[in-house]
Amino acid sequence: MDEKKPKIDFNSPAVQQEMDHIVHGTFVKQGTMVAFPTGFPGATIPILADESHITALDTSLQGFVYGGTSGKRSHIFVGMFHGVTGMVFDMKAVDDATHCPAVCCGKANFLACVNAPSGGGRILASRLQPWPYDLIQEWGFRRPHFDDLGGVAGEPIVHAVADASRDHAVGVTTHHLFSVDLGAPKIQVVTEISGAGRLAVGSKGGILGPDGAGHLWRFDLKTRNLERQAFKLPAGRWEKSPGVWARAGQRGLLYTADDDGQLFSFDEQRGFSASLGKTMLAPVTCMAATLDGRVFGSCGFGIAKMFCYDPARREVTNIGVAVSLFERRRYGYVFGDAVTGRDGEIIFGEDDDGGHLWLYFPRIQPASA
Amino acid sequence: MSREIDRREFFRSSGASLLTVGAALYPRDGMAAASPASPETPGDYKVKWYEFTEHKVSDTCWSLSVGPDGRIYAAACAEGVPGGVVKVVRYNEAKDGLDYLFDVDKMVDDPGNSGRATQCKIHYSFAPSMHDGILYMATHLSGPPIDQPAYSPWLSWHDEKRCFRGSALLAFDTKTDEVKWWETMIPKEGCRCLLHDEERSLLYAISYPRDHFIIFDLKTRQRRDVGRLGSINSQTLFLDKKHRVWTTNDYGHLVRYDPEKDRLEMSPFVLPHNPEFQTGWHSVFYDVAPSPDRECVYAVTWIANSYLMRIWPNEGEWPRVEDLGPVTQKRDPTVSVDTFVDHCGGLTFAGDGQLYFVASRWRDPVYNPMGPDHKEREGVVWRLNPATLEKEEVTCLVHPRELAQYVSRGAVDHNGDLFFGHVGSRPSGIFKVEMPASRKKENAHLPIRMWG
Repeated sequence: MDEKKPKIDFNSPAVQQEMDHIVHGTFVKQGTMVAFPTGFPGATIPILADESHITALDTSLQGFVYGGTSGKRSHIFVGMFHGVTGMVFDMKAVDDATHCPAVCCGKANFLACVNAPSGGGRILASRLQPWPYDLIQEWGFRRPHFDDLGGVAGEPIVHAVADASRDHAVGVTTHHLFSVDLGAPKIQVVTEISGAGRLAVGSKGGILGPDGAGHLWRFDLKTRNLERQAFKLPAGRWEKSPGVWARAGQRGLLYTADDDGQLFSFDEQRGFSASLGKTMLAPVTCMAATLDGRVFGSCGFGIAKMFCYDPARREVTNIGVAVSLFERRRYGYVFGDAVTGRDGEIIFGEDDDGGHLWLYFPRIQPASA
Repeated sequence: MSREIDRREFFRSSGASLLTVGAALYPRDGMAAASPASPETPGDYKVKWYEFTEHKVSDTCWSLSVGPDGRIYAAACAEGVPGGVVKVVRYNEAKDGLDYLFDVDKMVDDPGNSGRATQCKIHYSFAPSMHDGILYMATHLSGPPIDQPAYSPWLSWHDEKRCFRGSALLAFDTKTDEVKWWETMIPKEGCRCLLHDEERSLLYAISYPRDHFIIFDLKTRQRRDVGRLGSINSQTLFLDKKHRVWTTNDYGHLVRYDPEKDRLEMSPFVLPHNPEFQTGWHSVFYDVAPSPDRECVYAVTWIANSYLMRIWPNEGEWPRVEDLGPVTQKRDPTVSVDTFVDHCGGLTFAGDGQLYFVASRWRDPVYNPMGPDHKEREGVVWRLNPATLEKEEVTCLVHPRELAQYVSRGAVDHNGDLFFGHVGSRPSGIFKVEMPASRKKENAHLPIRMWG
């Protein structure tokens, strides 16, 4: 081997450039990622490593990030990254719960859906957190009271979303569709339906969910009408999907991905687009859209890569492997959910031991000529 | 006069360029071993270099351990060379030289010219099995494919052509010199360090790059992934009397796997570190040696200005940790000293019941202006008396051409002599430090260390 190997001139600029590319070009190629621990740095410890797989996120109207974890035990937390804050408050460790599929923020309350190891789900509700005092100066937090709203027929909760008005949440268990009035939280069972994937809020306010292998159902909260097979999924591989959604801006255009990472947009009036492109790896585990319409997400098993879909260019870009050099020096391998923050930053929930909230600040787009 | 030599430079230049600089500054005839602080008899602690002459592209020796047979085994690694592979060697006391046992790439059918990242090294991953004379060993990654100048496991994770096939676990029978079996223990990842809990037939490992805690059941040959530790591999695992396995996380906390709880737990405190310019971040274990009575361990951390500590894992809910202070010299805190310059490793107890280790020393015009009788960088062999905690310099490692400040691992053979693995020359090799007769003991390697 020693004699036959190709000659590589390690002193040549080209080889040095290649080495730089191999070592550094692998990681976040545009924008900046910051991994923030699930605690108040300097004041608390983070959530225990094997209880901190972040699998559910939502944002409140004031820009706080609410989330839930999975692992040995679920936790419900809120993250604050604006004003004089900069912390994650572990509001509740939920005994007998090991999975959090969804968190939904209303105007005054929020709820967290959790599942027990045996499978039974239940919903916990509490008031949204007020702004704290200056977290550089002095502070005090008390864990809030949570109302246990119970579950639906003892079934695991698959997913839930808050509607566009933030008045209600709609969710599915494995066999039922339900809604919750976020103003006075109480579960109402709507009907029997097989819950199999994540839900989304459509551009017209309809709640959408996977309906069998090839369709979406649509639920109208006002009329409480459930329209089965309301939309046909586009050509693709949908055995495990739609498992992921992103909702863009004011128009409410949705994005989803099939099992192979083919991206599609969806509008309640116009239906699905043709394939917009394909992510470098599959599956797409989570994604969210920033204010200018670009969609950022995570794809691939083991060591995920981040991607960007730019609707203006109609192209998918490899953003690279997540790495944080600020607050925490950490690689990011697995992400379970993503939401859009106040200023268009994307907040990824790390679905891993020692999971962090990853704030991704996209590259600022150059001004068009 | 100090030179910056980060990892890339270190491997690229190991050999000629360092030699040239060192020789120009400090004449060869002034480079004899530093005198021991208090030699017991002339000739004690004689240092001898054994080069991996039959693996000329070897650039590192990350693993050196005593086998269940009391002989010294070492890994002749080649991680800086595209297509480089590791060969396993053993010190032969009859011929006072090295025997080359086998090429790992051939043994595990993953040749260096595969186009993938190579089976280039065994990294702190020799672990003995006393009842059957097996020496387990697990391979690690970083050696680039034969036609690439470098390898990134993050870049190539999803690349079937380039991705490392996985850490190969080999069971080498030291009685017959045969590899009894091998299999891929950690797909796509390397094994940073390995430990054997012989009573329970379990191997423990830490994977790279994902930093997962792995348990391999030797009876069923099944792997179980307990979870992620962080981003920076600890370089060592150790075992306590309760079969708990200990390591560290990125922020210098102890991490403990308790089989009764089947869970990784983190200590509420941070291990000793420099309070002026460190936070505990990166204070992961570099090397850990058990005391002969197995009541405590001695550890150093993998960060410049490493601290030595004594840990009592069998005491209390969390161990008592004694801070034994830094093992390398003071330095300018405004610049980060190269981790290949400021280093400590090779911790081992010898037959005299004293702890030996190698810590680097380097010329610094302000903090350590050593005279011309010293090399620019030196690997100092220290002896620590566990009863008094007094530390004494016994000798310096002398390489015939290169500087010798970086030692990976140390071990004592059944005759009671010290051996150290060296990193930083090409070919790489090992040092033997002959112990004074008064400090030798038959079967000095027992009770044996069960981790790499």
